[in-house]
Amino acid sequence: MADLIKRLGVALLAGALAAGGSACGKKNATGGDVATLISEAWTKYRLSEFQDAQLTFEAARASAQPGSDAWAMATYGLATTWDLRRPGEDPKLATKLYQEILTNAPASPMIPWTELALARQKHLVPVGQEPDYAAVHKAYQHIMDAFPGHLAAKEAFLYQESIELAKLEEASTRAAVKRLNQFVQSDSTEFTGPAWSLLAVAHTTLKNPAGRLHAEQKSFELTEVDPADPFVEFAWAYWNLATIAEFEVGDFDLARHYYNKLLEAYPNDIRVYGCKQALARMDALEAQIRAEEEGR
Amino acid sequence: MRLIQKLLDFVRTYFALLVVFAVFLWSAWVIATYRAQQAPPGSIVIRLGHWQLEASVREGLDEMARDYQKLHPNVVIIQDAIPEGTYGQWVSTQLMGGTAPDIMQVGAMLPDNIWLSYYNRYFQPLSRYVNTPNPHNAGTDIADVPLRRTFKDGMKTAYVAEMQEYMSVPLSQFGVRIFYNKDLLKKLTGLDVAPLDYREFLAVCQKIQSVTNPTSGQPYIPIAGSAYHFGHWDGMMFSPVTYGCFRRADFNRDGFVGNDETFVAFKTGQLDFLYPPLACWLKMLREVTGYFQTGYTGLGRDEAVFLFAQQRAVFMTTGTWDARSLQEQAKGQFEVGIMDFPIPARDDPVYGGVVEGRIYETPGAGFRFGISRTSKNFDVALDFLLFLASQRGNEKLNRIIGWIPAIVGTELDPLLQAFEPHLEGIYGNINFNLGGNTAVTWGQIYSLYQVNQISFEDFATRFTEYYLQNGLKDFLEQQRDWRRGMQRNEQYLAGIRGRAILADEAAAAATDPAAKAAAELDAASAWVRYRAITSSRQIWGELNHARQLDLITRDHLPADYVAPYEYSPAVLTKIRERIRAEVAP
Repeated sequence: MADLIKRLGVALLAGALAAGGSACGKKNATGGDVATLISEAWTKYRLSEFQDAQLTFEAARASAQPGSDAWAMATYGLATTWDLRRPGEDPKLATKLYQEILTNAPASPMIPWTELALARQKHLVPVGQEPDYAAVHKAYQHIMDAFPGHLAAKEAFLYQESIELAKLEEASTRAAVKRLNQFVQSDSTEFTGPAWSLLAVAHTTLKNPAGRLHAEQKSFELTEVDPADPFVEFAWAYWNLATIAEFEVGDFDLARHYYNKLLEAYPNDIRVYGCKQALARMDALEAQIRAEEEGR
Repeated sequence: MRLIQKLLDFVRTYFALLVVFAVFLWSAWVIATYRAQQAPPGSIVIRLGHWQLEASVREGLDEMARDYQKLHPNVVIIQDAIPEGTYGQWVSTQLMGGTAPDIMQVGAMLPDNIWLSYYNRYFQPLSRYVNTPNPHNAGTDIADVPLRRTFKDGMKTAYVAEMQEYMSVPLSQFGVRIFYNKDLLKKLTGLDVAPLDYREFLAVCQKIQSVTNPTSGQPYIPIAGSAYHFGHWDGMMFSPVTYGCFRRADFNRDGFVGNDETFVAFKTGQLDFLYPPLACWLKMLREVTGYFQTGYTGLGRDEAVFLFAQQRAVFMTTGTWDARSLQEQAKGQFEVGIMDFPIPARDDPVYGGVVEGRIYETPGAGFRFGISRTSKNFDVALDFLLFLASQRGNEKLNRIIGWIPAIVGTELDPLLQAFEPHLEGIYGNINFNLGGNTAVTWGQIYSLYQVNQISFEDFATRFTEYYLQNGLKDFLEQQRDWRRGMQRNEQYLAGIRGRAILADEAAAAATDPAAKAAAELDAASAWVRYRAITSSRQIWGELNHARQLDLITRDHLPADYVAPYEYSPAVLTKIRERIRAEVAP
């Protein structure tokens, strides 16, 4: 009896160890067509399940015809996972995979995004290192030249101009203003709002308040809004426009317009008290100057 | 006989193992029968886990469960009330083990990044329901209003920006006020109601302190304080006095004074501790805490509550979360009053020119619940949460608990009228936290000042000296890994981009015109989201960092410098010319 129980115990223990061992083995994602696998892999990526995302992208890549659009998309997803997962990232492997896409699927719609990813690798260096700005500039410029009008090229343009404006120097800022002005003339609205916003920063550096106010107004008009996001609100934009109009341009009518907009649209905003103070402040100043002028 | 002997030998050999096995069987039996008692066969069981052990919360949820059961007799709601101290571990094991309740309280007891990963893995996104009306609001004035618009705060606290999803349903609002022993106040000062004027409040405290408690032989304590309670007083009453600092230090004119702006303002002489908003802040702190019991900084919350409950102190701050239980504790012994924080009059000789009004209170909602992915009855769990978030349901739930309803158009319990948030007012506008040793030094010197071990002059001199010498180094160290934030954004954005590219592909592949139109709309929406997030988060990293460094390394302001909320000579001239043209005959 005791012997039997011992044997049973040993068998159970061996079974449990075998089950545990098999669970620890290398996992493989199986099943599903390539499109489904890619979709599932992106979902896992967004849920920060990076190991599962990697396995699923690998399965999709293995199932797809090399060089096809699906293969390029699966490889791009796999490269992105190795590039951006934390912890466990492998940027070198990611670069190799991005390069594979450029070599093996040169006609794929993923090419501009792949080029952007390679440029971003150069720009977003690890903490404590400084990017090679000449190489970053060249990479962004290449995307802008190779894929004019593509969203990836527009994004590259904004990153490049942001770097130029960050120098806070007059010459580079003036050059950026020229390029940004050209960009905002385009018919497309994609990224036009942030381009105006960068122009506003440029005019701040150049001490041109009227230019800044105009650029901020255009940026505000062209803001693209994610309707589901409750934090996207214009209280800050109204406050910003109002204070520029009041203190930098001296356009009290416009300042009143934006302060009142904030009060009407966001009566519970933290800046409501400040808005009321501002309206009273402008009234008081005007009354004082008017009294002085009338008494002259 | 041999068999019995063998059995006895077996029991002797495996006694420990058998005991464990027996206990396991007994536990399984008890749990199974207990659950069967709670939930009759055929019923839908919704389990709800939370950390609110206050009796009124459990009572409130039970009452709402009974109401819900009247509408849906086959649904049974069971609460799992878990102590705060173990809630984090409990949530983790339940979620990871796949045994989580259907509905769980979320958002605290674990670090934010852990909650974020749990939301991602274990909770159902609720975004698709927030833009449709709450069916339980039928027949009310908000019957057709989308769910998120029925919340006083627009459901802001339920939205997880990193996921771009609504992940929970908040049910209550909270606030902090001063509670006081009405009977003791009357006995010691002759007043029926505590004064809301700052000077009168101090005078009352003085009067209370001058009376000896016959039980203890010690003077009565005007204010029951502790390290915990000091935070309430500082946040609600002392810090807001610094509001006016924005006039000199809000260099980017966003309405707030950041840690970089505070440092530059001190370095360039725009601010020092003699600037009235700062001097008055510290003066008020010392005046009020002078009426706390001695050694309050070393005491915890419970010690102060004891003093108040034992009628040795007259005033004590606390939040809505304690309102009902304090009232219960005091029942039969003394009457509890609730008052707003006192503020100085506009003509106060010291504070009049500095304190511009009451504090602004953000109308954010808490007591939030999410639905776990392992819930077998998601629809029922969601419907019960919507029931609790309906106008009538939320009002009733919060009336029982003694908290502030989160839904618009609900009535507040009379006890809580004083907790109605101030939606217009001032706020603290100074930030000395540059991290590193500067933060440590601030903590040390500020604590010494709080307990009157150093004078205002000593405090100002010692901290300013250290701050100006070491602040820049600590700030730069704090900012060293600013690129890490950009990398996190990049990771997040890649996921949004992946979704948008897939949406494009789905639109291209769709053949049915209606499906194609819907897919195109979905793709356009996904790209708008991508561009909106790229614009708001990723483009500015480099630029903001450069501008911040430019600001913080300034030792002098330009000769023609004009404070952020003052008019330059050019602007004044422009305004004068316009008015001159207007008044000209």
